[in-house]
Amino acid sequence: MIEIKNVSKKFENTEALKGVSLKVEKGEFFGLLGPNGAGKTTLMNIIVGYLKPDEGKVFIDGTEMKSDDVSLREKIGYVPQDIGLYQELTAMQNLKIFGSFYNHTKKELNERIEQALELVQLNDRRKDVVKEFSGGMKRRLNIAASLLHDPEIILCDEPTVGVDPQSRNAIFEMLQKLNADGKTLIYTTHYMEEAERLCNRMAIIDYGKIIAGGTLSELIDLLHTRETLKIRKTKETEALLGEIKKLGVFSEHDFYFEIRPNENYDVYSKLFADLETIGLDSKFVEISRASLEDVFLYLTGRSLRD
Amino acid sequence: MKTILNLIKKDVVRFLKDTPALILTFVVPAVLIIIFGNIFGGGNDSRGKPEIILVNESNSPAAEFLEEKLDSSDLLQTVKVYHQDGKEIPFTEESAKEFVSKGKITAAVVLPEDFLSDTSSGMKIKFYYDPKNEIESNLIQGGIQKTIFSEMPAIMPYLMQRQMSNLLGSDSGKIFNKKMADLIGESFGFNPDSVFKSMTQIDLNQLQNDSTAAGADFMNNLINIESEQLVGKEIKSPGVTRIVGGWAMMFLLFTLTGASISIFEEKQEGSLRRLLFMPITRSQILWSKYLYSILLGIVQLLVMFFISWVVFDVDIFSNFFNLFVVIVASAFAAVAFGMLITAMSKTIQQANGLATLIVLVMSAVGGSWFPVSLFPNWIQVISKFTITYWSVEAFLDVLWRRASLVDILPNLGVLLATAVVINYIALYLFKKRSVV
Repeated sequence: MIEIKNVSKKFENTEALKGVSLKVEKGEFFGLLGPNGAGKTTLMNIIVGYLKPDEGKVFIDGTEMKSDDVSLREKIGYVPQDIGLYQELTAMQNLKIFGSFYNHTKKELNERIEQALELVQLNDRRKDVVKEFSGGMKRRLNIAASLLHDPEIILCDEPTVGVDPQSRNAIFEMLQKLNADGKTLIYTTHYMEEAERLCNRMAIIDYGKIIAGGTLSELIDLLHTRETLKIRKTKETEALLGEIKKLGVFSEHDFYFEIRPNENYDVYSKLFADLETIGLDSKFVEISRASLEDVFLYLTGRSLRD
Repeated sequence: MKTILNLIKKDVVRFLKDTPALILTFVVPAVLIIIFGNIFGGGNDSRGKPEIILVNESNSPAAEFLEEKLDSSDLLQTVKVYHQDGKEIPFTEESAKEFVSKGKITAAVVLPEDFLSDTSSGMKIKFYYDPKNEIESNLIQGGIQKTIFSEMPAIMPYLMQRQMSNLLGSDSGKIFNKKMADLIGESFGFNPDSVFKSMTQIDLNQLQNDSTAAGADFMNNLINIESEQLVGKEIKSPGVTRIVGGWAMMFLLFTLTGASISIFEEKQEGSLRRLLFMPITRSQILWSKYLYSILLGIVQLLVMFFISWVVFDVDIFSNFFNLFVVIVASAFAAVAFGMLITAMSKTIQQANGLATLIVLVMSAVGGSWFPVSLFPNWIQVISKFTITYWSVEAFLDVLWRRASLVDILPNLGVLLATAVVINYIALYLFKKRSVV
């Protein structure tokens, strides 16, 4: 449904995208993961036709997206990273203005506004001016404003930035409902837990290049182990540091050592036996499943939030 | 103390980085001081002298003398010919009146054939004027009076002689005075020649400065100025009618540059990007902004003129169509100018600083605050490169003299042509600099 073919984009001396190719199928909840400045927003802007790629093409349902032909944008709802609302107007006024740019009758538009307000749970705040809203409410209205024309494709560019956990959950539920209703979503984030929770499939982007892609399971399979050991820093564990390092890929953090074991432990008893062998008490050890964060670290040698 | 110094240093560094603040703090006041200084005579350049038409239809040497003095006046610039079909044609009384009536010049002085008539002891001067610029009109009248009165002593003996002959017949005055002087000298022991001399000399300075009715009557008998206001006699509120166009234009410029600059606000708050994610093109956004600003400008000007009608009884309806045409042309030009400032700027702060500077300078130089004719010549030249000048003159023409559409065509042409050119440049810059 959305096909990105070898897209490159340069801003002055910065290469924002380097030959990016992706395919997102209809009804997918696709995640685009990467640290800040990786090129996620640039790619989204090219998909919606806001930016023109220097090279490559984007196809929506087989039709090439061109920045000077805005008709394809009817199919897309773009939730921008910045709150793109008129702060001095009410929620209702904002929705009426943004909804007016699509081919709705007055009645249809009013119905769409009602549905959107219900979806983002802001029915009772429709007459309030946006600048009086909390950050989470603004984010939800920001999403509502992008859904008024019932788009087939929804592009969400980090829609939860600066949002409290409660509002974040509400946004997640809303997006999952939209996906369940058959909408295709592309969701950018640098929070791996968000991608893990929401997306069926994802791509990891870094320095303008797609470095990996697939389902969560496929990405974690890139690691040779699915577990990570966190060993609390104490006098006892520090004394065993030489032995600990032999267990796998070692990294040191403020309060703990992290080991990605050399061996894939399908049975944890084997792991504990190995720990006992080197004299490490299991009370200092926490085992966690490998995450996308680990995948990113594995692929780039950097943490996502560096 | 060190902390305070560091805090001050912090403020200085931030201030120096703030270009708009620098412009508003130093450039705007400096430019306005230069302009005001020049208007009120502080500049080194010669002040522009108001022009008057001078027509001398008299053969009298006294008229010729007065003409010379008016020609060489420091206060006025006399004009005696006009150009038509490549020919230089001397003004007549009729053509001079026509020029004043059409607003091409503020005043005309005619020294008529009967400048010195056989029956009159004084001189007759005709003065035609158009007080559309009150200050200029007063300056001209003052300049003419000063020139005439300062040159009176030279003309006075001639006039006095004529008065004596009118009263006492040819040469009788002299004989009478001579006999009286001889009698006084003989009776009181004075030198009869000295007495005769003092009898025939009148202290002109004293007469000029004489504030009594007798003194004034005497002078009025000697100089008969027939003044006629050719334009604006029927205007109910001349003061407000003169200034309303200038002020309206200044506020229009402020409003419309603000409206254009609002693109930056929309950009900052993210709403502009959202619009561009929708099925809306950049040129649609620019056109909507342009047309909205023009509409806003037209409504604003209509409201301002309407208020001047309600509060000050300024007659806006007797020439309303032409007033409306000038309003529309002014709005077009002002919006184009606002778009250019937006296209030239990188940030809203930069645009605001630039707009304030240019609007204030254009208003000062273009005649929103003072008649352009009061400015030094070099500022008068610059003023013609501002849209304010052409707009203010057009407003004055339609309100003051009920100018026809043909009369204001040059102003409309300049305003609309300027709008087209500036818009073209603005659009080019918008594209080149990706402002939207």
